[in-house]
Amino acid sequence: MEGENALVDWGVKTVKGGDKNARSLSHVGNLIAHYQPNVIAIEDTRTKSSRRSARIRALIEEIVILAKDENIKVKRWSRKQVNLGFLSDEQGTKHALAEYLAARFPKELTLRLPPKRRAWESDDSRMDIFNAVALAEHFLRGRG
Amino acid sequence: MLSEHLPNYLLSHRKRSALSQTEVAFLLGVQSGAKVCRHERFTGEPTLQTALAYEAIYQRPISELFPGLFEKTQREVKARAKILEQNKLHSNSNALTTRKRQSLAAIVSAKLNNQLS
Repeated sequence: MEGENALVDWGVKTVKGGDKNARSLSHVGNLIAHYQPNVIAIEDTRTKSSRRSARIRALIEEIVILAKDENIKVKRWSRKQVNLGFLSDEQGTKHALAEYLAARFPKELTLRLPPKRRAWESDDSRMDIFNAVALAEHFLRGRG
Repeated sequence: MLSEHLPNYLLSHRKRSALSQTEVAFLLGVQSGAKVCRHERFTGEPTLQTALAYEAIYQRPISELFPGLFEKTQREVKARAKILEQNKLHSNSNALTTRKRQSLAAIVSAKLNNQLS
């Protein structure tokens, strides 16, 4: 994001096979080199309530180290904290948050909004776009 | 979060338009999306004709599509206008010189473009 109202880039990068974390970290490094951000907002997976896998937790810690090496500030929030910020309800659903963000950035995100997940389905990968934008928005709200 | 303007926002505008690089390349009249990719990755600057084609595709003025490049150019022009204002226009004070002074003052005092919409 740039400023409070401009999404500069959004999307999902899929990494298959091999050392996924190393390849993901390489992509993150490329994004940092391209956009030269001053802050990275990332999910806090150190909380007890976090349900991220060990691999994702390790990847997030590697991203934090990479960012610090590049002198970029890192801000971390749990999903509960982000939900509270947007929905006044820490049990709020990801879909409700995604709908809110799609309305906030209609040109960018409306077409990316997946249908509501049914109980037996896994998360749509497009939800990660909304998770990332929610973290950035949460940071900007706290700063403002 | 970004601290300053990027050289261009072609990628953002293309994604908003839901167009692929290949489709934009076709609209630009070039053979493949590689050129579009280079512009979006800031590894190559488009020609004036291509920049105008981007303006026609994304319906935004060039200065808004390329704000980083525009700001850099504007700063350089401002610096040169200051030099011209200080060096060249001391002696005469006829109507032509007055108009020149006004033109240069307008260039020097112009606000930097800092909005992405």
